[in-house]
Amino acid sequence: MSDSSHASLTPAGAPSFLDLGERLRQHGQLDAAATVTMNGLRQWPTLAAGHDLRGRIEADRGDDHAAAEAWGAALACEPGHLGALKGLAFLAFRGHDFAAAERHLEVAVARAPHDATLLGALDRVRSRRPAAPADEPIRLDDPTSGLLLGDADGMRLSGGVGPEASAEAADAAAAETAGLLREATRSARLLGLGGVKHLVVECADARLAVLPVAPGAALLAVRSGSTPVGRLLATAQRAAGVATQWLAGLQ
Amino acid sequence: MSLERWERLLGEVIVIPGVRGAALVAVDDGLVVAEAALDQLDGADVAALVAALVSRAARVARSIPTEPPRLIHLAGEGGTLLAIEASAPLWLVAVAEPGAEVGRLRVLLGDLAGAVG
Repeated sequence: MSDSSHASLTPAGAPSFLDLGERLRQHGQLDAAATVTMNGLRQWPTLAAGHDLRGRIEADRGDDHAAAEAWGAALACEPGHLGALKGLAFLAFRGHDFAAAERHLEVAVARAPHDATLLGALDRVRSRRPAAPADEPIRLDDPTSGLLLGDADGMRLSGGVGPEASAEAADAAAAETAGLLREATRSARLLGLGGVKHLVVECADARLAVLPVAPGAALLAVRSGSTPVGRLLATAQRAAGVATQWLAGLQ
Repeated sequence: MSLERWERLLGEVIVIPGVRGAALVAVDDGLVVAEAALDQLDGADVAALVAALVSRAARVARSIPTEPPRLIHLAGEGGTLLAIEASAPLWLVAVAEPGAEVGRLRVLLGDLAGAVG
């Protein structure tokens, strides 16, 4: 993997093996880089940046399986780790799994919405994908996307309720959505329906889906009244997956 | 429309496999108007909970803003509740087990909602 931008991701004050391993990798000395990195990880086994570096080395060696395993370990150490998400997107792209590449990049963009390299990568991935109208992009950070994430107290975390709605409307919708989800949870419990999977509300001019997102947060998807319910739910479920990872990255 | 006619409409809902019961509820006061096969559910509970859900959903709709809700579908791990506006303030409600034909239930409730008046 030749993306030199990773070198700048080495955190300040990080163990020195990260810098040495990265330099060796960039000079093509992959075996030496791997040895340095593995030795470092023995001392700092929960250092996400170390696993991220190991992922880049393995990707350069052409061992995608080992690279994916390393980046998975990085995400386990630090949910939402940008380097790991970029790496997994790179592997998926290299394997022509553009949908998976897009999913990884969407999560990364949700964490770093102004990262030009990520946005560029997402554009490149989307341009390679066959058009799939039911599989629309997930943009949690975009207030016009009709995707709204709120916390258990009804405070807006991200997103909005559509292109014509104000930030005040989005805040109000987040507050009311939390109340609706609480009521749905209570109803489901009392009626023996178990945990809430989703709640769909249909109006004459709009269709809404509310999904619980751990821990206690709610995702609201707003679409036009002509949107098929199955498509609404598919979009909302993808957004809930992105939101779950985004929230995990905040903790 | 007579109570007997309403109960006949609800009888059409409960023949769908997996449906635990159906009711016609008034959401303005949270009371049951008619019910069928709600053996293991308290009709008063169903009516009160649906009224609360409709009220909460209406507040979300107003905040966006959109038109008022006319259908609510609550899907849980252990079953489904479908409620559809019939003739204000009456809503048709069905509670179903997991695996019930929810798509068919939605269509049927929509058809029957037009017959309540």
